[in-house]
Amino acid sequence: MAIVSAVDGHASPYNHPHLNRVGLWLFFASETVLFGLLLSVRFFLEGIEREHVDQLLGLWITVILLASSVTAFTAETAIKHDNRTVANWGLFATIVLGLIFAGGVGYEWATAEFTRREAFGTVFFTMTGVHAAHVVSGIGILGLVLAQSLRGRYTGKDHWPLAGAVMYWHFVDVVWVFFYPALYLVK
Amino acid sequence: MQEAMRIGLVVAAILAVLTFVEYVFAVNVSNDVLRFIGLALAAFGKAGAIIYYFMHVNRIWRVEESH
Repeated sequence: MAIVSAVDGHASPYNHPHLNRVGLWLFFASETVLFGLLLSVRFFLEGIEREHVDQLLGLWITVILLASSVTAFTAETAIKHDNRTVANWGLFATIVLGLIFAGGVGYEWATAEFTRREAFGTVFFTMTGVHAAHVVSGIGILGLVLAQSLRGRYTGKDHWPLAGAVMYWHFVDVVWVFFYPALYLVK
Repeated sequence: MQEAMRIGLVVAAILAVLTFVEYVFAVNVSNDVLRFIGLALAAFGKAGAIIYYFMHVNRIWRVEESH
């Protein structure tokens, strides 16, 4: 059916952006299992207890990551309306905010008053480490998308790579929405 | 585009308020159970706003929508 439709010159229902979107959401579902397990390990090992962490730093990097979701949304909205300039600036701002977030996590690691040999240190470094790895990979993906966007690759009707990268970034943001209170605020 | 950006700004404001409330709540509430419930509600509220408005979860099965 799909081959016949393609041969006939009609858009196949199986070769459509909505299928990409479903695939991406399935990927998010599998990632949710990973992050959910990390979250459950945190409470299994430590209950709601926690060691001292830099509260202000945690709050600031959270605000920065949430702000990066807004700039990512701006980029996607702009390209949908064929506004490439705003889309490019939105992507650039998202990358910069992501780098600041990653730097903040690195600073937290460098100044932590606990070690990886303690239960809380184990969950803290594992959770923030796995999440930071996703942030860094997201920055890389957004960088590739920005490079393509600067070449005029995307239009209002054809911008799935940009939309997919932005959705991934939002997902990473959602994960931190749960990790932040679990690591910094519960006790 | 203005309508979409207006939605984005409203969601940004909601996220900012929930994050602030979450922080103040955690610092000032001493009851562990109450604090845990409050933090969970704030987290689910923020996640829901991002998933619905930014990730467009309602469009998953919309075939006619194209990128």
